[in-house]
Amino acid sequence: MSLLNDIFEHPLEPGYADVAARRAQTGEASTQSRRISLLLLATSLLIALLFTMASSQLRRSADVLSAERSTLLARIQDYSNHTDDLEHRVANLEQENVRLQANQLQGADSSRELAESLARVQAVTGTVAVVGPGVEITVDNPPQDANGSRDPQDISRVLDVDLQRVVNGLWAAGAEAVSINGQRLTALSAIRSANDVVLVNYRPLNPPYSILAVGDPKALAARFLDGSGGQWLQTISSLYSIKFEVSTEDNLKLPGRTGGTLRHVDLGDDQ
Amino acid sequence: MIPALGLLLGIVAGVFLDVQVPLALQPYLPIAVVAALDAVFGAMRSAFEGIFNDKVFVVSFVANVLIAGLIVLLGDQLGVGSQLSTAVIVVLGIRIFTNVAAIRRYIFKA
Repeated sequence: MSLLNDIFEHPLEPGYADVAARRAQTGEASTQSRRISLLLLATSLLIALLFTMASSQLRRSADVLSAERSTLLARIQDYSNHTDDLEHRVANLEQENVRLQANQLQGADSSRELAESLARVQAVTGTVAVVGPGVEITVDNPPQDANGSRDPQDISRVLDVDLQRVVNGLWAAGAEAVSINGQRLTALSAIRSANDVVLVNYRPLNPPYSILAVGDPKALAARFLDGSGGQWLQTISSLYSIKFEVSTEDNLKLPGRTGGTLRHVDLGDDQ
Repeated sequence: MIPALGLLLGIVAGVFLDVQVPLALQPYLPIAVVAALDAVFGAMRSAFEGIFNDKVFVVSFVANVLIAGLIVLLGDQLGVGSQLSTAVIVVLGIRIFTNVAAIRRYIFKA
């Protein structure tokens, strides 16, 4: 504390007072020798130089930061455009594949059988879009109270295991194709969660979850509600107020999910 | 008069010469500026009190800048750089403030 008091009470260089006292003692008049004036000039020049250097330095580093930022923004834009181009290319190539495949499989009976079995397999595995009657199940979180953001430990919301049980229940009830919020489920699809977000096919999805299943509407709905999937939904609805709704639909459109990697190729007999 | 001339020349030189501070000294530039400000205001107050002396001004400026820079450098080496620089800034800031208050009293009373 006394240190701070000292600073407050003696802010002036003690040198000034000492020199003045000494001069008063010896009685000499204050002389301004040429050498001292030059020193004074040099010092004030140095001080002004210091201030100017510091200010130009600050301005320069601000420029550098904003230049860096705009470079990064330009790169992000470039890479986004590149990704868009690549996605277009992928879509075009897939269409080309479909066309070539159709061409290849026309003609002889054997290739027509191959085409039919291919279409069946594709519908079941989820690589191709399907249209048909079926069931829509909507599952949603309970209305949120005023707490704001959700704690990941809070389980009064739709979890990945809930969606897994619903989907398994649908498969068991005889569904031919299932999708969640536009993500078609294939043999390689996973329903997982990261923190408090549910991921399907590695895509994060937001509630309400709309699960579409193609099949015989009434039978599918009845078997699902009686089976494990429906039972699970009713349990979590009563325990955690999870909202769900099952409805039959006449015309459901489920997207396909291409993009699997090619693992095995056989040349045909006529090659 | 002479100091004012020197200041003007220094500003002109700084603007036109566009001196680049070496990279190693760049973090100490703000401390040097505050130390220089302290010396300048000390000189101004002593001028108002009639005890201004050029030699003391020059020595105080050079010593302030060097000592402040060395303290911050030492702090950086020891790992307490930000704390020591805070301490230096606090002390210099208090001195600047008190000197400026005294100058203000001289200007508006006298």
